[in-house]
Amino acid sequence: MSSLSASLRLFSPKLPQTFPKSPFFPSKPFLIFSSSISFQRLPKSPLSEPLRAQQREAEVDLCVLPPRLQEIIVLFQSVPEPKAKYQQLLHYGAQLPPLDPRFKTDDQRVRGCVSQVWVRAFRDADDPAAVRFEADSDSALTKGLAALLVFGLSGSLAPVIASVPPGFVHLLGLQQSLTPSRNNGFLNMLKLMQQKALQLYSQVGNSEINGVSESKGGNSGAKGGILEDKISIFREVLSANRSGDSLPYGHLKVDGHGMDSADVVQKSSGGGIGGRRERIRQGLERELSPVELEVEDISYQHAGHAGVRGNSDGETHFNVRVVSKEFEGKSLVKRHRLVYDLLQEELQTGLHALSIVAKTPSEAQSS
Amino acid sequence: MMASLCHCPASPPHHSLSKLLSPLSRPRLHPLLSNVLPIFNPSPNRIRAGDQFRRLSSSSRSVALPPEELDSPSLGDLTRPDFPILHQEVNGFNLVYLDNAATSQKPTAVLKVLNKYYESYNSNVHRAIHSLSAEATDAYEQARNKVAAFINASKHKEIVFTRNATEAINLVAYSWGLSNLRSGDEILLTIAEHHSAIVPWQLVAQKTGASLKFVGLTKEEVPDIEQLKELLSVKTKIVVIHHVSNMLGSVLPIEDIVGWAHSVGAKVLVDACQSVPHMVVDVQKLDPDFLVASSHKMCGPTGMGFLYGKSELLSAMPPFLGGGEMIADVFQDYSTFAEPPSRFEAGTPAIGEAIGLGAAIDYLTGIGMQRIHDYEKELANYLYHSLLSIPNVHIYGPAPSETVHRAALCSFNVENIHPTDIATILDKQHGVAIRSGHHCAQPLHRSLGISASARASLYYYNTKKEIDVFIRALKDTIDFFTSFQ
Repeated sequence: MSSLSASLRLFSPKLPQTFPKSPFFPSKPFLIFSSSISFQRLPKSPLSEPLRAQQREAEVDLCVLPPRLQEIIVLFQSVPEPKAKYQQLLHYGAQLPPLDPRFKTDDQRVRGCVSQVWVRAFRDADDPAAVRFEADSDSALTKGLAALLVFGLSGSLAPVIASVPPGFVHLLGLQQSLTPSRNNGFLNMLKLMQQKALQLYSQVGNSEINGVSESKGGNSGAKGGILEDKISIFREVLSANRSGDSLPYGHLKVDGHGMDSADVVQKSSGGGIGGRRERIRQGLERELSPVELEVEDISYQHAGHAGVRGNSDGETHFNVRVVSKEFEGKSLVKRHRLVYDLLQEELQTGLHALSIVAKTPSEAQSS
Repeated sequence: MMASLCHCPASPPHHSLSKLLSPLSRPRLHPLLSNVLPIFNPSPNRIRAGDQFRRLSSSSRSVALPPEELDSPSLGDLTRPDFPILHQEVNGFNLVYLDNAATSQKPTAVLKVLNKYYESYNSNVHRAIHSLSAEATDAYEQARNKVAAFINASKHKEIVFTRNATEAINLVAYSWGLSNLRSGDEILLTIAEHHSAIVPWQLVAQKTGASLKFVGLTKEEVPDIEQLKELLSVKTKIVVIHHVSNMLGSVLPIEDIVGWAHSVGAKVLVDACQSVPHMVVDVQKLDPDFLVASSHKMCGPTGMGFLYGKSELLSAMPPFLGGGEMIADVFQDYSTFAEPPSRFEAGTPAIGEAIGLGAAIDYLTGIGMQRIHDYEKELANYLYHSLLSIPNVHIYGPAPSETVHRAALCSFNVENIHPTDIATILDKQHGVAIRSGHHCAQPLHRSLGISASARASLYYYNTKKEIDVFIRALKDTIDFFTSFQ
């Protein structure tokens, strides 16, 4: 196993920042609108590459794995002898608290295991966007693998969990097969956990949106698929809950600078260099005939992170505040989509993120 | 030379061959010469088939035996060189293959025949006029003859080639079952049957309104013969029963059971998957109506099995699969069908594989099924008692005795350790291959009150030394887990 090269990869992050402790999103170039949250652009998702099941040298991009899982991988790699690795696995299993018998139902059973394995997913009490897991098994080794997954994935966001490639297990050196088969406990466990995480996720998403949740524009090169849909739901919900209210999932910290809605955004003066600010203004003015319009380039706040690399002239992140009669009768989601649609071209040419405040004149007056 | 194997006359009498190859008749080798001389000392006045067997064995590299084995090498020692797959390392350890009930390994002789088929005379059978096809057809039908002779069927047309024993059982269920079973009829099975013997009958019972009845186990963990006799009635139309249990290792008195079944007018289908490869099976003596077995469990290739059926029964059965080969005349809206066995062999068969099965039968016959059976009885006892000596190990099935013979397999559980854990560490840390799970016998496991078990199953190319390695490895594995708990 390429323990050395893998750990090197671990400790030489592609991102200039210090090693982030917060969850990541996979990187398709989609956009998330919010004034209080910014997301980094991640390296290309391993999902788009075919997974070679029996690879000896796993080409897993560690950066997409939840931090706790990465720690576990490092730990296993520091144990060179196979027998000791199995003991380590048993240790993990021993730390897993037994599952409440009432959860040992068919719904939670991992199909196709020779041993009995149950997995339960639920929302974190403190952080409803994060998923937590519990698991149990009557086989000690399987329980160890389950513990690994439980400890490694708990606390992460559903899209992150869903994008964990099974290939990471090669890095542990346990000779775990990844051949899909009814008897592959590990693979089936991981899949069930990912499935349950996404189920929880879509439940939250669906309860907040009225109607449509298709992913719209701006995803140049997006390949669609279930992950995209889920993420777009998340995006919609986030933007629907802007305007000062706290998010339904609680507070999300990214980059270590937990920006929340209370943060004051510095107003920059004048227009941008490349004229994007102007173009945004014009695009919105034309269609919305706004009573108020403020467009602000806050790209400097994101300078230096992956999303901005290669775009040294900034103009990647903007705050937009628009008050217009066009928003009457439209839900927040629809308002944001309207703004979004009007700025299609910008979104496809380097605009990474918009934070939108969209109000009707009467709302603006009362607020 | 290999092709000539296929054209061997019917197998020579077993017992003279056994004497030929038994340790007592062979001159002892001086220890220093063991590296130089082959194991067998060919002698000119022996029977031809025996010669071929010896030539086959000694053509592979001669093996220097450890001194203590030199005096009487076991059948395992003698045959191992013929199995290339056994000589490899797994996870850094010498492979110890103890999963023979799942599938057996193939000797070089069989591999050569398969290769030769594809290299020299592969051609579709029963169809063409040309020479290659004639040769292939000959070899294919010869293989059928060999199977018939192997189980002492009186007519070769009583042998139907199938994909495996499972397909053979399905054939009987769908062809005989659908046209002979109706509402109120009973199909009698034991709780220890393999899924392949249960599921096809469940499907057919649903369609016909018949019902399944199951014979339970005694406290010795063997099927309850008394209960079987009680459950037999005029409603019983067919008894589906195993000869040797793949999990319990028990052997059933088939001859008696067939007698009782026939006296109430019921047919008997014998699942001989675990008996045909390991002992003499004589269908004229046992008198079943149907008998099935798989090639891959008897040193033959996968994708091949056979159904034995009494000719009058097969003649009365409608087709199972339709297509080429099994027809007589085909019109637009109907067809007429061939006589058995062709009637049940639709499409191009696994020709090479059938011929390979024939070669496997030749190889086994060369050793002698009685000799194989006797050796395996030794292995069975050694395995059972070695396992028994380990604390906290529970072995399923009957204890061996003078009257109770066990097959050379043991399904077992270790207290507080999941069988999958045992099997995993045995493999990863010791290179020992056993099986863990329900062994395609979920009803049996449920009736024993367990969800899974571990199983070590042997064949004549295993040795006592391998059993020793397995036992040591098992003890080590148990320590690994208990020291942890």
